[in-house]
Amino acid sequence: MKTLLEKLIVNYPYFFAMVLFSIGVMTVLTRSNLFKKLLGINIMGSAGYILFIAAGNIRGGTDPILHQSDPGTVYVNPLPSALMLTGIVVSVSVTAFALSLIIRLYKEYGTTDARRIARMRNEVTKSDSSDRG
Amino acid sequence: MTAVIADNLPAFVIIVPLFAGVVLPVFARRQRLVEGLVVLAEAAGLAGVGFLAYIVFTHRGTDWVYQMGGWPAPWGIELTVNSLAVFFLFAVMAVSLPIALFTMGNLKDEVGSNKRTARFYTLFLLLVGSLAGMALANDLFNTYVLVEVATLSCCGLVSSRGTPRAAEAAFTYLVLATLASSLVVIGIGFIYVTTGHLNMGFASQGLAQAWQDRPHVVWLAISFVLVGFGLKSALFPLHVWLPDAHSSAPSPASAVLSGLAVKGYMICLLKFLYVVFGPALMKEFSVDRILVLAGMAAIICGAVMALPQDDLKRRLAFSTVSQVGYIYLGFGLMDENGLAGALFYLASHAAIKSTLFLSAGAMIASAGKKKISEMAGIGRKMPLTAAAFTAASLGLIGIPMFSGFIGKWYLIAGSLDTGDFLPTVIIIAGSVLCAAYLFPVIRAMWFETPQKAKQESTVQQECKTAVQHAAEHMPAGPGVPREVRVKDPGAAQKLALILLTAVIFVLGVVPGPFIELARSAAAELLMLR
Amino acid sequence: MPYSADALKIYLVLGLSSGAAGGLAVMLIPGARRRLRNMITLLFAASGAVFSWLTALSVFAGKGTRIGFVSGDLEWSLDPDPLGAVFGLIASTLWMFATVYSFGYMAEKSGQRVYYSFFLFSLSAAVGVAFAGNLVTLYLFYELLTLATYPLVIHERTPEAAAAGTKYIMYNLSGAGAILIAIIITYRYAGDPGFTGGPVLAGVNSPMLGWLLVMYIVGFGVKAALMPLHRWLPAAMVAPTPVSALLHAVAVVYAGVFGVIRVVYSVFGRGLAGQLGISRVLPWVAASTILAGVIVALRQDVLKRRLAYQTVSHLSYILLGAFTLQPWGLAGAMMQMITYPFMKMTLFFCAGIIARQTGETRISRMGGVGRKLPWTMAAFTAAALGMTGMLPLSTFWGKYYLMKGSVAGGMWPFALVLAASGLINAACFIPVVVQAFRGDKTPSCKEKGGSMALMFAPAAALVVIALVTGLVPGIVWPGAEAVTDWFFG
Repeated sequence: MKTLLEKLIVNYPYFFAMVLFSIGVMTVLTRSNLFKKLLGINIMGSAGYILFIAAGNIRGGTDPILHQSDPGTVYVNPLPSALMLTGIVVSVSVTAFALSLIIRLYKEYGTTDARRIARMRNEVTKSDSSDRG
Repeated sequence: MTAVIADNLPAFVIIVPLFAGVVLPVFARRQRLVEGLVVLAEAAGLAGVGFLAYIVFTHRGTDWVYQMGGWPAPWGIELTVNSLAVFFLFAVMAVSLPIALFTMGNLKDEVGSNKRTARFYTLFLLLVGSLAGMALANDLFNTYVLVEVATLSCCGLVSSRGTPRAAEAAFTYLVLATLASSLVVIGIGFIYVTTGHLNMGFASQGLAQAWQDRPHVVWLAISFVLVGFGLKSALFPLHVWLPDAHSSAPSPASAVLSGLAVKGYMICLLKFLYVVFGPALMKEFSVDRILVLAGMAAIICGAVMALPQDDLKRRLAFSTVSQVGYIYLGFGLMDENGLAGALFYLASHAAIKSTLFLSAGAMIASAGKKKISEMAGIGRKMPLTAAAFTAASLGLIGIPMFSGFIGKWYLIAGSLDTGDFLPTVIIIAGSVLCAAYLFPVIRAMWFETPQKAKQESTVQQECKTAVQHAAEHMPAGPGVPREVRVKDPGAAQKLALILLTAVIFVLGVVPGPFIELARSAAAELLMLR
Repeated sequence: MPYSADALKIYLVLGLSSGAAGGLAVMLIPGARRRLRNMITLLFAASGAVFSWLTALSVFAGKGTRIGFVSGDLEWSLDPDPLGAVFGLIASTLWMFATVYSFGYMAEKSGQRVYYSFFLFSLSAAVGVAFAGNLVTLYLFYELLTLATYPLVIHERTPEAAAAGTKYIMYNLSGAGAILIAIIITYRYAGDPGFTGGPVLAGVNSPMLGWLLVMYIVGFGVKAALMPLHRWLPAAMVAPTPVSALLHAVAVVYAGVFGVIRVVYSVFGRGLAGQLGISRVLPWVAASTILAGVIVALRQDVLKRRLAYQTVSHLSYILLGAFTLQPWGLAGAMMQMITYPFMKMTLFFCAGIIARQTGETRISRMGGVGRKLPWTMAAFTAAALGMTGMLPLSTFWGKYYLMKGSVAGGMWPFALVLAASGLINAACFIPVVVQAFRGDKTPSCKEKGGSMALMFAPAAALVVIALVTGLVPGIVWPGAEAVTDWFFG
């Protein structure tokens, strides 16, 4: 038991990432407000960044600049941070795209609530079919 | 110049569509030029793939590992040209070229305005480029980036019609797809934490050594990747987004989404499971059982859900859920025949489902009707389109001489290899159910008289006999309202449908080289070689 | 007749493809050109029959040929043997009669173009089933036969027809699925040696073989209407009468029977089949179908449905003969296979004439029909006697050899079953005839359509053929003999 707790404390960034991820997933799946869903997506994304950056961190390491005088220095791994830059770019584009969709939906239905939109849409299709019938 | 292209062919195959896609908006006003560029890029891609296939066939047994920028692994990024990559590239290019042809000249009707067409093409080419990249990439993080590019392009394609319904479907898709991406990226993160590598080969070696020390982390990684890609490729309980997204997209987009995009994620999952984790780990964590079970559930449930759909495109979308099950079933069999069958089925379904969506789209656009019950007699007015639809349906059901039959043959052989009889029965039951949801469409198209004539006759009882009388004398086209001119689409569209149907036939009649390629890919994945 | 190998190949290909070519040609003719279409239909049906005859005769003369096409791991091949020749010959010959009858029956009905083209397509599929050289090819044409006949089943365009069509497809595709699994298992055991080089599974020893056989029998049993897999057949009676007569009394259901015989004799072979105990179990299944089918038929009031259940019963005659694994039993099965369709089609043709001329489909309301249509009812009476197996008619010989086979195999109960079935058949049809001639009601003329001459001529011709072959069975005996020699010789 002790070792598990120890592991959790030592690896707290991973633990934190998982908690954050769960929060994100819950937000995405349970909230019906489109904006909140979008926030959930971004929270999930952040969990991913933390995981990667924590993986790249080496305690006591210096910044990864080549010091020619001291070849034995321990560096922080720069690769995950670089990768997460790409991840952030992806996340930004997803956010922008989602926002544009939300605007489109708001213009049409006057609300950003997914459930209400679904209800309104069903009414529209019902009246369509009754017209036809 | 040719030497440069030949040396860098793998990169070339990816970059040409991507680059063309990015350049297109510049010429947005010149419709013809845009269309020409798209087809040119596709044709160049296909030619490149043909050359790659030639190389793979001549240097059998050794993969061509292309190092981007000349940096060796594990520092540089690698592209691997092996049988699997070439097989999937072939499927992508051979199917997306006819789809591109189909859009020529009539895309405006599908997406609404001229302004949108250039955007559509950009997204289309980005999707094709990223799919090509997924086939070739030998690097976890690049795969993730390509998956994201594909996802965003897909969402764009879904919403490209601009209707609120499409926007809603696109948003749902975007949310779930991003959720899936997050799962995948965290899965990749776990692999990286465990092994310190992002190159697939090195990660695989690292996992083989490290998994016994940290089985829980590896287990987490596998499940995150599995659920992530499962969600993206609509594996049965995770398919909820697919019917809305695929049915509200414009038809060429539906074709490319159902035919190719879903398959791209499946290939990614295949590479993650077989190349990175490896067959031994898959068995250890019983991923194979999960895939087989989910596949069987998908085959049956997808087909059963397709049955009551009256909206033609929704029925086809549910059919995709069912057909994806076949491929996953084959992935889970962990057997050379089964895996080759799954790959063949993947290519076959790409061609078939694209044909179905394109011909359905042409019929919907021409007749202005979305529902199957309203499509009575449309086959007489659009014979070529309806014939393509029928041929593709027969292929999906698995009639011999069509591509689906060969895929099912090897899937059944594979499931018999594993000694498990249940998947075999499910495969057959799926075919029968497939007939149950497609035959009513075929019947309505060819063998029913249009509803309008019926309605008129109920209004005017006296006319009933007259209409029937007329129908008897003109069985070719009874009661066609003059003002609606429902007819086959233009030449480019016809050519596209003919090409796709030809692909279905070629795969069914002379499957030799393709099944050979699929089998060598399967052997590579199972590390039998 | 030139019997060179190249000529044979040409006959084979022409016999197979004339149906498909004719179907395409008919499809391309505009709907209004009825005469032209009828001529072309007849021309292609005749050419299919002629070339099938040429192929079959050369096969009986002992000269085979083989056409193969390798695709991937599979091979599609045509390789006629006597069994296939018999089936191809019967199917393509009867097609001609049914085509002429169709001209009469379908006159002034709608949707003729579709009807005739798919009628011809299914000819090709049936000939393909007959001449298939290996299991996948058999499977291919078997599936195509289902597909090509589907439009004919739903031809009436009514909701019942649509429902029957769906039932038809579901039953037959499920059966085909079972066959496909069985074929793949067979290929894994034995590869693909084809049908003509002795039994496919000879020398294979596996505990799975029994199940494999069950799978084949169930699969082909769907089309052969083996009870309890027969339900699609009465439902498919919504189709126009020529379709019911040709396809659902002869060609399609024969494809199932043919498949069963093929599997027992060419895939398993006599030896293996005997070891698996086929002759101990399956004849009982066939015998119970014989009796159950005809008893259910007794209770049907709609004439076509009564005929359909009677078909179910009669198909099992053939299966019974084949399952005895005796030379005389197989000979009887072949004689039954050759002679029975003439009578059965006559019955259907007459039922169609009655339906078209008087609008009556129910037996209970057919009083007085005999006075209105005396010649039709005469032909019907002759065919009904044929069903019971009376001497001047050819069906006697089928039953005779079947009984001989069951007695020779020490299975005399089956001879009793056959005799009993003959009696029940009499009970099935004689009342119809009596009713038709004795009833005092004049039939209501709801509908009077179709060309009487074109409908009656084929029926009369079939009766004449049945009489001639009944008196001189030597005409058809060589076919049965060739098959028996092939598998037992």
